Amino acid sequence: MKQKLKGIFTNWKVILLLIFLIMSFITIKPQLFGVDGVTIRNVLPNSSAMDAGIENPSSNLHPLSRERILSINNKPVSSIEEYYASLASLLDNQTVRLETSEGFYSIQTRTGTDGIVDFGIKVSEAPTSNLQKGLDLEGGTRVLLKPSEAVSDDDLEITINNLKERLNVYGLGDIIVRAASDLSGDNFILIEIAGVTEQEVKDLLARQGKFEAMIGNDTVFFGGKKDITYVCRSADCSGIDPRVGCSPSGDGYGCRFFFSITLSSEAAERQAELTTPLTILSEDGGNYLSDDLVLFLDDVEVDRLRIGSELKGRATTNIQISGSGAGITQQEAVTNTLQNMKRLQTILITGSLPVKLDIVKMDTISPSLGKEFLNNILFVGLLVIIAVVTVVLIRYKNLKVVLPMVLTLLSEFVLILGFASLVRWNLDLAAIAGIIVVAGTGVDHLIVITDETLRGEEISDWKKRIKNAMFIVMGAYFTTLAGMLPLLWAGAGLLKGFALTTIAGISFGVLIARPAYAAIIEKLLKD
Amino acid sequence: MSFKTIYEKKYKFLLIIPFILIVLAIIQIGVQTAVTGDFVNKGISLKGGSTITVEYDSSISVQTIESMLNEKFPLAEVSIRVLSSAGKTTAIAIDSDAQDNDEIDVLVKVVKSELNIKDDQYSVEVMGSSLGTSFFKQTVFALLIAFVLMGIVVFIYFRTLAPSLAVILAAFSDIVVTLAIFNLTGMKLSTAGIAAFLMLIGYSVDTDILLSTRVLKRKDGTVMERIYGAMKTGLTMSSTTISAVLVALLFVQSEVVKQIMLILFIGLLVDLIMTWIQNVGVLRIYLERKK
Repeated sequence: MKQKLKGIFTNWKVILLLIFLIMSFITIKPQLFGVDGVTIRNVLPNSSAMDAGIENPSSNLHPLSRERILSINNKPVSSIEEYYASLASLLDNQTVRLETSEGFYSIQTRTGTDGIVDFGIKVSEAPTSNLQKGLDLEGGTRVLLKPSEAVSDDDLEITINNLKERLNVYGLGDIIVRAASDLSGDNFILIEIAGVTEQEVKDLLARQGKFEAMIGNDTVFFGGKKDITYVCRSADCSGIDPRVGCSPSGDGYGCRFFFSITLSSEAAERQAELTTPLTILSEDGGNYLSDDLVLFLDDVEVDRLRIGSELKGRATTNIQISGSGAGITQQEAVTNTLQNMKRLQTILITGSLPVKLDIVKMDTISPSLGKEFLNNILFVGLLVIIAVVTVVLIRYKNLKVVLPMVLTLLSEFVLILGFASLVRWNLDLAAIAGIIVVAGTGVDHLIVITDETLRGEEISDWKKRIKNAMFIVMGAYFTTLAGMLPLLWAGAGLLKGFALTTIAGISFGVLIARPAYAAIIEKLLKD
Repeated sequence: MSFKTIYEKKYKFLLIIPFILIVLAIIQIGVQTAVTGDFVNKGISLKGGSTITVEYDSSISVQTIESMLNEKFPLAEVSIRVLSSAGKTTAIAIDSDAQDNDEIDVLVKVVKSELNIKDDQYSVEVMGSSLGTSFFKQTVFALLIAFVLMGIVVFIYFRTLAPSLAVILAAFSDIVVTLAIFNLTGMKLSTAGIAAFLMLIGYSVDTDILLSTRVLKRKDGTVMERIYGAMKTGLTMSSTTISAVLVALLFVQSEVVKQIMLILFIGLLVDLIMTWIQNVGVLRIYLERKK
């Protein structure tokens, strides 16, 4: 027996499998004893956390490499509930010592527009491995956008960057925005945002965001960096307009917002030029110009501003933009008004998309349903393994066969997961379906290998037996591969995850794990 | 005559079983196409619309919600499905033809207030009808390409026309018959269901390649002995996969995975007939003629 084990562990196929398994473990990095703290998911722009130097996590980071909050004022934080409980005990304008996995920060608390004291950090539970759960399992929003007309690759890239920037304005750093295409050559943009997403973010994505400020029929300035060099988003120069505030209107309430922007000198010159020919009217105790500055968003008028007479022919770079919002209650009106303001600010900062986008698919997956899914899938996976082991035990009644078979199957799982975490693949339902296929063909092929080697006592040559077995296995491998290839390009990449997992998984199985299994049972069964 | 002698002697006669199955399947698919205009019942993800999924709790009465929603949205096509695993209801899904953001928002608001649920307790999936339709067309096209590629691989592998065609015929019959049976269950096909049909090609071909290799490439024993040898291996393969699929079908909560499992379950059972009666019959006729 000792001789046999030595023979197994010196076989190069087995050694190769072991090397790959170790590498998989290193990339997955399972944290068996748990991880301290909570992971920072997003840092809101202009928040006290951002001022203190905490950065928005990049979506390129492995889950375990992301910054984690360990304690607040030396009080350890180990769950999301504890984090919010700690926050609730803080006062406005208090200096807090925050310990993270990267170091210490001292942060000044602030009270947000919603009246809650915080730092502007959104957290999620600390991951226990580098495996990235996809939206189906973690909850979140997936949006598939389609340009309404054909676009060049450059325009598509500009659009993607612009969308990323818009989401960043909302403090969403941990996002996926990428291009996808399908067999008929149509382009799509896929956006995935983990966690609960506010409705306003979804509304913003499909907007082209063409902003124009016009006097008469002439454009004074457009949204975007060329004409607008700065958009104020801090409390001293943006918010609910204190001079107007909120007032009852119709069935509910209406409020007005304002924020100041800085124009580029060219835009300011244009404004001076366009206001010079206007006449001065006096009304309501003030002097105004005869034409208004009209703001259009996606060709719809959003606001009309009177221009003070003192601005006639002057190239001012500082301008105040205003607008309004409404709601049934006063609180709702304030919230809606501030949302409108934020949307307009975002569009002024990022400018317009080169093309209009249509939402063709939008999935919002509840985090709690996702969690239930995951637990259920793990449970079912366990049952499936038990079912398979029972069948092969009944058939072979030999632990020397069944044990290596189960170990090989498990190592195929580890190889797929290792690969998934290496390439930062999100494990979603499509990927899980792929793992199911791989496991299914895995068992099939191991049975073929076993039967080919157990069978045919007349073929005394072991090499020949294994060659026979691998002939069948390779044939099945190439046909499955042929079946999956077309899916890589079909249907806006919706089944791409499935095809990739399957292809990667069966390739690892057929090229690494299954040959090692053949070598192991050869050594174990040979007298 | 024992079962074994019928199987060994009357293999040509037995070919009538897969033949009848295929004819019935084609009739079913033909009728389905004539009646509904499509050869399969397409679900929301393939024809467009939205699905709202809500966690189930015993205070919810499905009938009440259904009649309430139909009353509030008389123009929309709203239907409710109950999702269950291991015999227990786990969630309810509300399907509708609403695709517009505003329409869905209204629907979600009503469902939320009626069922008294929070923001993170429901999922909404929306599929635009143009994307659904093009997705369906393209994946069916991908299925055809997969079939052709698979045929090429099989032909390169065996280098003889008749046995290669037998493998392709077996996979084709498996898919057609499974599709017809799936239609009869009344379920609606989703994107994942199409993936399941692709998986089925792989599983179906596995056993066919095993059989053809054993029968054509081996010299030990008689043809019948080799067929029985292949069958022993093939049935072990099928029984592990079928038992695994059955367990998953009964216990899994995710509707997507459940549909994959159902299609695989039907397909693997059909594959037993297509491999061990149809493919064996064709191979034996081929070997006889060759002599």
